[in-house]
Amino acid sequence: MAEMVKLFVNGQEVEVESGKNLIDALKVVGIEIPHFCYHPALGADGNCRMCLVGIEDGRPPLVPACKTPAQEGMKVQLDAEHIKKIQRDVLEFELINHPVDCPVCDQAGECALQDYYMSYSLDDSRMRVEQVTKGKKIDFGSGVVHDQERCVLCGRCVRFTRQITHTGELGIVNRTDAARVSIFPGKPLNNRYALNIVDICPVGAMTSSDFRFKQRVWFLQKDPGICHGCSKGCSIYIDHHREKYKDDVIYRFRARTNLKVNGYFICDFGRLSYAAENENRQTTATADGSAIGFDEAIELVRERLDRARKPLMLVSPDLSLEQMWAVKRIATLYGADLSGYSDSYVIDGDGDDYLINDDKAANRKGLELLDIDSSKEQFISTLQYTDLLVNFNNDLFYSGVDEELKAQLDKTQSIAVCSHQLPVFESATIALPTASYSEYGGTIVNEDYVLQRFDKALFKNEDPRDVLEITRLLGGAIIDAPHAWPGIRQSVADLADIDPETIPAEGLNLQNSEDTNVGA
Amino acid sequence: MSDRSELISTGEPFAFDAERDAEFERLIVRYPIRESMIMPALWMAQEQQGWISAEAIEYIAERIGTYPAKVFELATFYTMYHLKPVGQNHICVCRTLSCWLRDKQAIVDYLAKEIGVRPGQVSEDGRFSLEEVECLGHCGTAPVVQVNGEFHEEMDLEKFKALLATLD
Amino acid sequence: MEVKILSAKFDIDNAHQIEVAKSHGAYQTLEKLFSMAPEDVTNEVKDSGLRGRGGAGFPAGVKWGFLPKDLDKPTYLAVNSDESEPATFKDRYILVKDPHLLIEGIIICCYAIDCHDAYIYIRGEYTSQVKGLQRAIDEAYEAGYLGETVNGHDFRLDVTVHRGAGAYVCGEETALLESIEGKKGQPRSKPPFPAVVGLYDCPTIINNVQTIASLPFIIQEGADAYKAHGTEKSTGTHLFGISGHVEKPGMYELPLGLPLMEVLEKVAGGVWKGRQLKGVIPGGSSTPVLTAEEAKTVNLDYESMAEHKTMFGSGGIVVLDETVDMVKLVENLIYFYHHESCGQCTPCREGLGWMLKIVKKIIAGEGTMADIDLLVELCDNIEMKTVCVLSAACTMPVRSYLNKFRDEFEAYVTDAAS
Repeated sequence: MAEMVKLFVNGQEVEVESGKNLIDALKVVGIEIPHFCYHPALGADGNCRMCLVGIEDGRPPLVPACKTPAQEGMKVQLDAEHIKKIQRDVLEFELINHPVDCPVCDQAGECALQDYYMSYSLDDSRMRVEQVTKGKKIDFGSGVVHDQERCVLCGRCVRFTRQITHTGELGIVNRTDAARVSIFPGKPLNNRYALNIVDICPVGAMTSSDFRFKQRVWFLQKDPGICHGCSKGCSIYIDHHREKYKDDVIYRFRARTNLKVNGYFICDFGRLSYAAENENRQTTATADGSAIGFDEAIELVRERLDRARKPLMLVSPDLSLEQMWAVKRIATLYGADLSGYSDSYVIDGDGDDYLINDDKAANRKGLELLDIDSSKEQFISTLQYTDLLVNFNNDLFYSGVDEELKAQLDKTQSIAVCSHQLPVFESATIALPTASYSEYGGTIVNEDYVLQRFDKALFKNEDPRDVLEITRLLGGAIIDAPHAWPGIRQSVADLADIDPETIPAEGLNLQNSEDTNVGA
Repeated sequence: MSDRSELISTGEPFAFDAERDAEFERLIVRYPIRESMIMPALWMAQEQQGWISAEAIEYIAERIGTYPAKVFELATFYTMYHLKPVGQNHICVCRTLSCWLRDKQAIVDYLAKEIGVRPGQVSEDGRFSLEEVECLGHCGTAPVVQVNGEFHEEMDLEKFKALLATLD
Repeated sequence: MEVKILSAKFDIDNAHQIEVAKSHGAYQTLEKLFSMAPEDVTNEVKDSGLRGRGGAGFPAGVKWGFLPKDLDKPTYLAVNSDESEPATFKDRYILVKDPHLLIEGIIICCYAIDCHDAYIYIRGEYTSQVKGLQRAIDEAYEAGYLGETVNGHDFRLDVTVHRGAGAYVCGEETALLESIEGKKGQPRSKPPFPAVVGLYDCPTIINNVQTIASLPFIIQEGADAYKAHGTEKSTGTHLFGISGHVEKPGMYELPLGLPLMEVLEKVAGGVWKGRQLKGVIPGGSSTPVLTAEEAKTVNLDYESMAEHKTMFGSGGIVVLDETVDMVKLVENLIYFYHHESCGQCTPCREGLGWMLKIVKKIIAGEGTMADIDLLVELCDNIEMKTVCVLSAACTMPVRSYLNKFRDEFEAYVTDAAS
């Protein structure tokens, strides 16, 4: 437990963590100190001057909150007239050379400059002389577009490339009000985390070419989720919107702070993987290439399963624990072999020592915990003699088509329970559409044994059935995710004490009670 | 300050000549971190080339082991680094307080009118470039003009004309 | 009136050469120095009352005392030779005329603070001066005053010249450190102070050239001899640079405490061309201006300047005659500080440019009375809201002109209206 101290804010006593800077310490108790340049992952810079607060009897009496640790007995002035005036003045200075083009700015609605102006200023402009002009719509590479005029020179982006990615593509060149963020000519952003810059920019100076002009942010519903791009399981926001007469569509993923898993950032691959949730989806059931009704398809699958002598069920390493458990149960019901074979999800050498993992499976640890055999030997040997393969959304060709395996699959009668139209499912005689991870809730375990829970974010016009529901329709006894848990608890020692309802937002480390903290 | 971030590329790779190479190695041991050499290296590049090209910045970054964007920051922050070629004679006229009080403007006006070169420009024949600079620290002998690094104090128009006549 | 302590060798031909300098006493304090305990050196400097000559006037010996003891890190000395405050040119005389005095001072300081690596940060504009200084340092190495041993004593000392490249802000001590570290000269937030976390995160003392050059006299002759000059709280002598509208501008070494007007009349020959005095900038462009009336009662020391609501500053005195257009002078000043703003803190970065444009608008005959009030308000809104005092170095004098010569600003507005 961190040491706590009592201090006063506007005369009111609050108890906060000792030594933490005032911005972070007071945020915990619901007190906002406005700031642009400070970011908990990037440290205090102190350049924006927006967080200046008064310290009664302090030496000096005026300090940047970002650089001032909370101390016992400190008397912090936030609503004193002279502090409120500084906030108005700093905002005025930030705004005099700002284009105030909010109507065409993607950041509008989630812009610190805009929000602070509404909360701390509302003054009319006194700027009656020519503004400083700088560069607009500059392509910084990696999908980042920069507007130097909207920039408040907080330097978060520069610090990000120096402290987090250690690639240093950005700098603030010139000085005085000619200062601006720039790349070195011909050396654009070239790192796999570049789009975080768009997230950390407090204003509309850094926009994503992928998201630009696609949607006003106030229309977006922002639900927490977990990235399924690799076995890190980064916390994300799923920003989606159902326009009138249209379907619920995801517009972007953003990093969601989780100090136990990903810190403040996510990789660009994961961020952009939202698109796959929208595209190339299996939306109707098919049999021998022709569309059929879903219920009809379920009946067909049941018949085939009943007839099969030696069925083989294959689960995706992306499935939730509950889904895996449900498949495992119906495998028993039908006397089927069960495999979690998914070597193709591993791309050797692709990972780094930060957030990106070689293993692109979101829940491989789940396979291990549920004791589902993922070995190639078992899968290949079982595949030799099976007369019916039921593939629960496992992309065996994740890292490319394996011709030898494809030949074997082509010879095997198979059923695909799939969220997407992928080459691996082409040989299936029956295809059942299923939900993808933004469309169901469940739990997964990341590479570091952090158990995380996520909820259904999207509600489609025609909500696809998730794998668990399909197992129920195939005769399984588990009716929904919570019902999987008594069985899971009983059979998996590591999960014996887990109540999914009480998993904290940042997840639960199954291996030790010590918090793992990625630092950034 | 006007924008200095438009770098010019020569299209040719840059490297220190033997003399600067040795100087670089002599100096770097004086500092506990390599980045302290960015400013000295920028000076050396400017001495060698007359100005600092995009290639020179990249070379320095590579040589020191830092980001080109960081060297770029310094090259644009410190205004004595020339990021474009200057004239055969680079004239700096101090524009600040004491020189202003003692009519530095007469010299600037003369250069504009008679030589056709204004602050920030290079004359058409390439002989002269003019820069108005901030206080040069010769206030007691104002106004002061610096030509190719040499100071000329207590200038007036007549002395300045005579000085110009001595330049190549 | 002149007293030649720092400038003792300024009139000697070729005193910048080590042999000439030595024949006139250079490096003669070293024997005494190494016979003293380092803390005694610090105490002697404390006793002398020597105040930092960079402009802030903080007691030098006290500053040294802030160094943490028994830290497992090296201590650095950074000599501030960035001298960029408009109207300031005193350090240049030491660099050019008597660089060995500076080197000797560096040896004294380093011995006192147990420092073995000193850096001299010299402004880039001092092109030939950089070369001269380097030559003097090379001579000192050859003569055995620098290097693995100092004058035969088991004390290593390396002195490295680090050349700036056109940034006034690097005279701010933490910006100077950033610059040596290979960064933009952007001042650091304090605390921590450089004496604790300075160059390369190590304890560091930053002293002005003139401060360091004052040390040989103090060690050789003793604190009392130094205190014999000047006033009780402003001890010793100072190199005053007098410029602007006087008959004999130049650099003069004077004891502190003399009446300003007496110095202007007797030393600098009075206002030029027989004109009337309009005002005096007492210590560099960032010190608030004194009217001719105020100038009559001020003395050249820290206390008297403070009583007159201005500052002693760098000793760069600028005399303004009756013809000076104070509005245009303010434009010239703001232009300078705007140009030199490091661009880090919002109020300074954005505000100084705004102020400059407003003054230009007034001069162009497009200003209003509200613009004058806005200028005053912007001074308040910018000042002391930033990491360093560069913005205050602009707003403090600008406010003084707006207050003391407001009629001139108003005349631009009313003349344009009529």
